[in-house]
Amino acid sequence: MARRSDILLPACWVSVLAFLYLPIGILILFSFNRSKLTASWEGFTFDWYLALAHNGPLLSSLWNSLVVAAATTAIATLLGTMAAYAIDRGLNRRQEQLVDAIIHLPIIIPEIVIAASLVIFFGLIGLRLSVVTIVLAHVAFSISYVILTVRSRLAGMEPALEEAAMDLGADEWTTFRTVTLPHILPGIVSSGLMVFTLSIDDYVITSFVAGVGSTTLPLSIYSMVKQGVTPEINAVSSLLLVGTLLMAGVAQRLSHTLEE
Amino acid sequence: MRHKILAFILVCLVVARRLDFASPGLAATIAWIVVGAFACVVGALVLARILVRVPRWVGVCLCALVLILGAKSVPHRQESKLNLYIWSAYLAPDTLPEFEKRHGVKVSFDTYDSNEAILAKLQAGNVDYDLVVPSDYMVEILIRENLLAELDKGALKNLKNIDPAFLDKPYDPGNRYSVPYFWGTTGFGYRKDKVPGVIDSWKVLWDPKYRDRITMLDDMRENFSAALHSLGYSSNTTSTAEIQQAKELLMKQKPLLKSYNSGNFHEMLLSGDAWLVQGFNGQVAKAMKENPNIGYCLPKEGCTISFDNLCIPRNAPHRELALLFMDYVMEAEVAAKLVNACYYSTPNRECVPQVSAHIRENSAIFPARENLAHTELIHDVGRAVEAYDAAWTEIKSR
Repeated sequence: MARRSDILLPACWVSVLAFLYLPIGILILFSFNRSKLTASWEGFTFDWYLALAHNGPLLSSLWNSLVVAAATTAIATLLGTMAAYAIDRGLNRRQEQLVDAIIHLPIIIPEIVIAASLVIFFGLIGLRLSVVTIVLAHVAFSISYVILTVRSRLAGMEPALEEAAMDLGADEWTTFRTVTLPHILPGIVSSGLMVFTLSIDDYVITSFVAGVGSTTLPLSIYSMVKQGVTPEINAVSSLLLVGTLLMAGVAQRLSHTLEE
Repeated sequence: MRHKILAFILVCLVVARRLDFASPGLAATIAWIVVGAFACVVGALVLARILVRVPRWVGVCLCALVLILGAKSVPHRQESKLNLYIWSAYLAPDTLPEFEKRHGVKVSFDTYDSNEAILAKLQAGNVDYDLVVPSDYMVEILIRENLLAELDKGALKNLKNIDPAFLDKPYDPGNRYSVPYFWGTTGFGYRKDKVPGVIDSWKVLWDPKYRDRITMLDDMRENFSAALHSLGYSSNTTSTAEIQQAKELLMKQKPLLKSYNSGNFHEMLLSGDAWLVQGFNGQVAKAMKENPNIGYCLPKEGCTISFDNLCIPRNAPHRELALLFMDYVMEAEVAAKLVNACYYSTPNRECVPQVSAHIRENSAIFPARENLAHTELIHDVGRAVEAYDAAWTEIKSR
């Protein structure tokens, strides 16, 4: 029996990994394909990456995506952390339950409903659709993730620590800065990273609230796919993947050092 | 305290309304840059101070980065700027630069992936596109929804370059709101080396000899159009009996199909995975360029034709500029460059001599006029769409 599970278990996780990562591997492989077709392999080339460097519209949509993701991350983590702190410290149990339910809503509500309601809302207050509305929309749907992550860090914190700091003469701001913040920082960093990735690959909501001069990368790729998937799309997807992986690695190391 | 917060929010809303992002103006732009830069600096400094373990230079770098990002993302507002909303790959590399140079204006463009995206954006009403490029049926809908501006024909001197055969279509009688930009047909592409004989009819897509080498578009109306035309009916029929016959024909074809494919049928043709593919002429034309053994057939029984059209939204902020651009792309030389770059059929008859010879000779892009005699536009079929839907569901689920 033991021997059978020796074979079965590795086979199991290898096939799960293959299922998860084989498509991505093939996508990267074919971004180096000499052929214009995604159907057959015809030799190695860097041409598509060079072509990418000259594809103005695609590059400007990449820039839009980065700006939106960076702004969303900054705003959502700042507001989300503040909200989490306020909820943790300022509310009684019943209020907390109510607020909890409200915070979970944006995660549960279908994206398409959020998108439609945001468009109607922006129309009502007369805000023109642009990069700004995309950022606002992204903050709206991603802030819940920050609140939840940071709150779980706050919940695991010993209240005696803050009390000790106050006893030693630190005011509230100093206590927050030197005791509370370092403790919840890993939560902030990891939720910030999550917000960044959520923002950079969002299609449904972005397609509704995008306006003049604000085509993001996912929108641009969707419209290009109309004419068939080209190796250029593979190339830009691979770059995005490598970039995100690098960022995840850096953030992980950062949060490790912060935790120590 | 609560009153102060409320008052603050109110003031913010009023200011936001005043500094409406669409309304250009130096003061607003400067205000945004100042406020944005100040917020960025303060934010970055606070962040750098808070991150106690991070060395000071990281904070400074972060600060600089945020500043640059902030300054760059402030929208540069110019009075004379044209905002295009257009399909991907619908412009030649020098179409926009040339127009910008000639008129000293800036053109920005966004792309979309469906006609419905245009409808959604224009219906929302708070977006500043000056020119959109909807397909025929969408032009009809946009006109009905009162979302398009009537064109000032006096400003369109190059309208005479457009072949009258492509004007005055039922979706916009008299071209009051639209001028055609590109048009296309839905026939089928085939491998000349694998499918011998005279290919001029839909019937070959029902030939059991080519089992597993045929693909059809993954599109209800296009499938019915092929079946209805090969039965000798109109592709816009509302007769239940005719729809029923077409359904049976498509059912009979299904076992022969490799797949329903709207995305990369031209690649399957090139790789030889499929020999007969129902598809749009533009994509098949691109495959024909790669491999001379590929042909395109406009079936003699008839097929569908579609038009993408330049239109100006009713609330476009730069209507004159949009008209200028419309007139510009109808110039023979500009239109020829568009065809050379995009590989689509043009309604512009004056540009043909300037189109590259190999494109002019491509039968998918420039079909013989008599082959277009039986083409049909796809219309809204009203209530009959339920019969189509039911039949299509049955076909797909079998």
